[in-house]
Amino acid sequence: MQVIKGFLDTFFSDVGVFDAICVTFQMAFCATAISSVLGILLGLLLERVNFVGKRLVIRVNRTLMGVPPVVVGLVVYMLVMRRGPLGSLNLLFSIKGMILAQVLIITPIICGMTYTSLVSRAGAIRAFAKTMGADAIQTQWLVVRELKNELYFAVVTGFGRSISEVGAVMLVGGNIKGHTRTMTTTISLLKSQGIFTEGLTLGVLLLLMAFVIQSLADFFQRGESSDENY
Amino acid sequence: MRIIDLEKKQGDFQMKTGSFAIEEGKIHGIIGGNGCGKTTLCKLIMGMTLPDRGRIDYEGLKPREITMTAQRPYFIRGSVYENICYPLKIRHIRPEEQKINEWLERCGLKGKKDQYARSLSSGEQQKVSMIRALIFEPKCVMIDETLSNLDPENLELFEQVIFEIQRERPITWILISHRLAHIYKMCEILHFMHQGEILASGDKEEILFRTEDERIRRFVANEVIKMEGSHAAFES
Amino acid sequence: MKKQRQWLVAVLATSLLAGVMTGCGGSKEPEAPTEAPAEAPAETPDEAPAETPEEAEEAPEDTTEATDETGSEAVEKKGVLMMATTTSTADTGLLDYLAPIFLEETGWELQWNAVGTGEALKMGENGDVDIVLVHAKASEEEFVANGFGVERFQVMYNDFIVVGPAEPIAHTDDIEAAFKTIQEEQLTFVSRGDDSGTDKKEKGIWKKLELDQTQNPNYLESGQGMGATITMADEKGAYCLTDRGTWLKMKNDADVELQLEVICEGAADLLNQYGIIAVNPEKYPEVNNEAANTMIEWICSEEVQELIGNYGVEQYGEALFTPNANE
Repeated sequence: MQVIKGFLDTFFSDVGVFDAICVTFQMAFCATAISSVLGILLGLLLERVNFVGKRLVIRVNRTLMGVPPVVVGLVVYMLVMRRGPLGSLNLLFSIKGMILAQVLIITPIICGMTYTSLVSRAGAIRAFAKTMGADAIQTQWLVVRELKNELYFAVVTGFGRSISEVGAVMLVGGNIKGHTRTMTTTISLLKSQGIFTEGLTLGVLLLLMAFVIQSLADFFQRGESSDENY
Repeated sequence: MRIIDLEKKQGDFQMKTGSFAIEEGKIHGIIGGNGCGKTTLCKLIMGMTLPDRGRIDYEGLKPREITMTAQRPYFIRGSVYENICYPLKIRHIRPEEQKINEWLERCGLKGKKDQYARSLSSGEQQKVSMIRALIFEPKCVMIDETLSNLDPENLELFEQVIFEIQRERPITWILISHRLAHIYKMCEILHFMHQGEILASGDKEEILFRTEDERIRRFVANEVIKMEGSHAAFES
Repeated sequence: MKKQRQWLVAVLATSLLAGVMTGCGGSKEPEAPTEAPAEAPAETPDEAPAETPEEAEEAPEDTTEATDETGSEAVEKKGVLMMATTTSTADTGLLDYLAPIFLEETGWELQWNAVGTGEALKMGENGDVDIVLVHAKASEEEFVANGFGVERFQVMYNDFIVVGPAEPIAHTDDIEAAFKTIQEEQLTFVSRGDDSGTDKKEKGIWKKLELDQTQNPNYLESGQGMGATITMADEKGAYCLTDRGTWLKMKNDADVELQLEVICEGAADLLNQYGIIAVNPEKYPEVNNEAANTMIEWICSEEVQELIGNYGVEQYGEALFTPNANE
């Protein structure tokens, strides 16, 4: 770790690149994990339960899938600032606060994608589970298992959104060096200092890391999907 | 099992079965033209859809003891073997590999055990779906056109299987097919459906050949002409 | 016609906002206070790009409209002067105040890009702008020495102040004592950390005192603009070095009342000198050197210097900038 840090420090200006990378992935993993659980559960629930105003909820969900992160950032900022309703939790300018903002951005995306794939496929799976005599929990589990690829894709999309996001984490995190500075906010800072090449290098580094993680994830779930080509 | 005045509306289609019994341990056949509600009736029995009115008295038969195979069966992601094991798995029964191998061999699927189920041909898929439905020894099996597209040899095979099971431990079968010959050969009790209504239930000879009902007579006549036609085609 | 279009944009923006508000109404409590800040930025970008294409297409018409707005005689519009400047001149509204007068008197339309001093000079070095207005004397002189700028003219200054909680540092004019206390008692201090003019000033003070501020665990670098940094200091109950202009504007305009106070001001070290430099046309022939020279001459004229000296008095009770072009 120290070696990597040393290498990065010689290469980049004194903007805390190594810490920024750690913060970025810490934040992205946590935010994606929480959002995946929430988003998939909400998606399942939304598909399963019928209620008045469901179509409106779905439409709101679709809208929120494209919510500008800075707006979420602002809302979260106002929630967690010292004089805001959640001020006592001390979330402002902390990774937790950034995760909160990201969860609000990503959960609708995962929820919406989950819901969409469920709507098109869950009916047939449920009917099948019924003929096999599965109970409610087994049926639901089967649905999730059968839609593994789709859900995986939703989670990956959420993760990508998380590491690439800059607006909300800048507002809520405050871009504090060594604490809440992420790779994207570092790039933004480098740009504001006129150091374009380092910003670009860091951008490429971010993409490379995303690529590696993507490949790892693909490797772990390849087993079955390779049979899918028939 | 007793069907008691089931009613179900689906768009323009109105189903109204009236009351009739499905006797336990017998092979029942349901015939009727396209879109007369045969599949819907099965789904109602299976509990996949709920009736608007009326009910089914299962007379002690548990939902888990009923199964149904579809015309285009669904396969879970995974191999043929995993698919066959699925109903056992959810019942927490340990699969007997020997037994499954025997089944596969008998159906000519010996080498396909570890193949991805969704990559099978439609005939093979129908056979696997039959094995999957029979493997956990249910008490009521509904076969919705699953056997219709099998070639004569495989159809014969499953007809034998059904008769064997009936000899050893009789269960309730509900066969749906547009192949009159198959139904005629197999079933002990026939139910004729027409536009969502059960026109007649009972002895197959009685219904098919001695009925007064114009609609049934026309259906049978049509089927016979079709059969004659195909025979003629074969002979020439 | 331009006015009509602006109206239309305003009406559209408002109705859209209203629609969104009613749509989400009551779903989230904290959304209500977003109304005020949301509206202001929403309109600015709408107007700004609308002007540019119009000039190109309807140049003659535009002139008459300009007359309508300013109420003076028609000025022939010559073109655009692109300026790179620091956030402080833009954030304080000084340029918004000067630009229309500049247009009226000289016919050049001033457009600006408000960034940090480092980036502003970089834009000059790349020939992306015609003129720079920044405040980091050493860097500016280097900029000229390297041949990117023609000549540096001093325009005005404002002063830096240290703001923070009234305890434990009492109001003082001794910047060195204040910084020493911060270091010794490990008080929370939020630095810009973005290599801006303000950041350079602050780093310079630490250096002069031979203190290593990074040894203080409560020394934070925000890497953001002055406004965001003040807000962060306010949230954290921390100290920070700011220019007076941004501070006054923030204190006056921010939604949330700032609880920081000025704890150090008046030290000679804290003067913040602005310089204006035309980008060298020998290096970049495509720059608008004519307009840049006009701007330099104009902004250094006594009349404009007086305007600068009066700017902000009415609104904030004190001047934001002190002109000193002719000293």
